[in-house]
Amino acid sequence: MSSSVQAPAIPGIPAGKVGVWWFLASEIMLFGGLIASFIVFRLGSAGWSGEAAHLSLTIGAINTLVLLTSSMTVVQAFAAAERGHASTLQLFLGLTILGGLVFLGFKAVEYTTEIRAGFTPASGIFWSFYYTMTGLHALHVLAGVVVNAIMFAGARIRNPRRVELAGLYWHFVDIVWIFLFPLLYLS
Amino acid sequence: MATDKAHPNYVAIWVWLLALMGIGLAASAIPGARVIAVTVIFATATAKALLVALNFMHLRFEPRLIYAIALVPVLFALVLAVTLVPDFVFRR
Repeated sequence: MSSSVQAPAIPGIPAGKVGVWWFLASEIMLFGGLIASFIVFRLGSAGWSGEAAHLSLTIGAINTLVLLTSSMTVVQAFAAAERGHASTLQLFLGLTILGGLVFLGFKAVEYTTEIRAGFTPASGIFWSFYYTMTGLHALHVLAGVVVNAIMFAGARIRNPRRVELAGLYWHFVDIVWIFLFPLLYLS
Repeated sequence: MATDKAHPNYVAIWVWLLALMGIGLAASAIPGARVIAVTVIFATATAKALLVALNFMHLRFEPRLIYAIALVPVLFALVLAVTLVPDFVFRR
């Protein structure tokens, strides 16, 4: 029983990794569909640049910097896990979690400012897309923080594979933001 | 499999990511030449995504099957965008 569970789904590739990539594939379809719909609406509608001008470019840029940096720290955590350095692993996982929380904090400030200025999800198609895409992404960041916190708590177990798989998800969240930032804030 | 491979220089890749982010931001601040600016912005975004996927996610060390799992949904999303284009082209 246990040997069949632990056997690789495909020779040379651990089953867990295949599973995470399949999950990420479904996530690509989810965000890909949203982004494709946004692009089509954006190209077919005038005045969206004016709406986007109400967003805080500074906060968007800071959050991009934070997520890019946290992607680097989570992969450093994986490298530390492979070397068996539990304290370094915890340090980098802690920095990654901190990055996620900073991102969510700035996002909360941004949402508060925008809603107080009267820009709600009901304020138009741009704002509907904005809150849907960034809200869904923020939920993914929150899930990533929880997953990394679980890795942090179990750092002494020294299982690099788990850290790698958790990192794959975090990098995906980073890549989604890499496209959301220019789509919403820069174009 | 990624675990057994040498780790790329993650800090150098991070520096590249920040540089590309800076280029994208600078392009967005250039007045006029909107088409060029948008092209630069999305070219740098794509480059950043590739850097993260290939190096941080270790995709360049993975077998073809993992590439296929990752790329097929990207292609589907692109097909979705392209097939929706007539909607706004013919609506004008």
